[in-house]
Amino acid sequence: MSLTVNGQEAQLPDPPKLETLLAILHLRQPYAVSRNEEVVRRSEYQQCSLMDGDRIEIVHPSAGG
Amino acid sequence: MQDTLRLYGQAFSTRILLGTARYESPMLLVEAIHAAVPAMVTVSLRRQIQGGLQAGHSFWDVLRTTNKALLPNTAGCCTVKEALSTAFMAREVFETDFLKLEVIGDDQNLQPDPFGLVEAATELVKQGFRVLPYCTDDLVLCRRLLDAGCEVLMPWAAPIGTGQGPRNPKALRELRERLPEVPLIVDAGLGLPSHACQVMEWGFDGVLVNTAVSRAIDPVRMATAFANATKAGRLGYLAGPIPVQDLAMASTPEIGKPFWGASQFVAKGTA
Repeated sequence: MSLTVNGQEAQLPDPPKLETLLAILHLRQPYAVSRNEEVVRRSEYQQCSLMDGDRIEIVHPSAGG
Repeated sequence: MQDTLRLYGQAFSTRILLGTARYESPMLLVEAIHAAVPAMVTVSLRRQIQGGLQAGHSFWDVLRTTNKALLPNTAGCCTVKEALSTAFMAREVFETDFLKLEVIGDDQNLQPDPFGLVEAATELVKQGFRVLPYCTDDLVLCRRLLDAGCEVLMPWAAPIGTGQGPRNPKALRELRERLPEVPLIVDAGLGLPSHACQVMEWGFDGVLVNTAVSRAIDPVRMATAFANATKAGRLGYLAGPIPVQDLAMASTPEIGKPFWGASQFVAKGTA
């Protein structure tokens, strides 16, 4: 199954769960996730199943003006 | 004398907001924060850049040590959808309802898109955000944002990062006069401490600066300068400036002047 993660193509084994993707990426807290431009809340990670072609964004705190 | 800035019912003891971008190092940012003592600091959300992992974490780890109130932004968003999505992610990460809402309408001068801004603000207020919209000095736009439920507005002085200072002073001053009860923070385009002082003298409630501090040769010293200028302008406003007059008026009393009547002013060439 193919996804776009932060603009880059990524593969995910079945069953395609968001939690699996986040575990593979070894992300440091804090971060936030959107799926097809809709935020996925932390409490929803476990339940969130991904579909082929989903666009995932993962963002972290950064400097800003 | 207590002079508290109130934004959405929350009290702040200073009137300068500081951006966290474009510093040479996270440590320099922290020193600038200590020097400016800002009410809030702005932050953003970005993808983790390949190889930039350490830098990103270092920024966040260091910023957290300052314990400053955070004002997440939606910088770089050009559509309502992007802005909403970014706002919700910001709330997840930063755990605050405060939001500096940016919807950019032109990628050359980074001018706010007034139509997208009102639409996004309307939705975000409904979703419980405390929206501080980055807007222009257009009175009708500002009214629409207030109608949408914004309790604070952040009109620009000039395009972001230009350092030009107030480009349209008359519009800014008129805005201040027409919306006397609304907290107005001048955001973007300030370059010098005197610009901050100037808008505070006009009665604005605060300023937001970033580039003017972070790209100064000595950002920490500039942070102090902006903080002092903001305070000076505010005090000047509260103290009530004198009206400007066309004719001179001696400040030293005439009565009791020595040599009274002994000489008269004679214009050159008429003697």
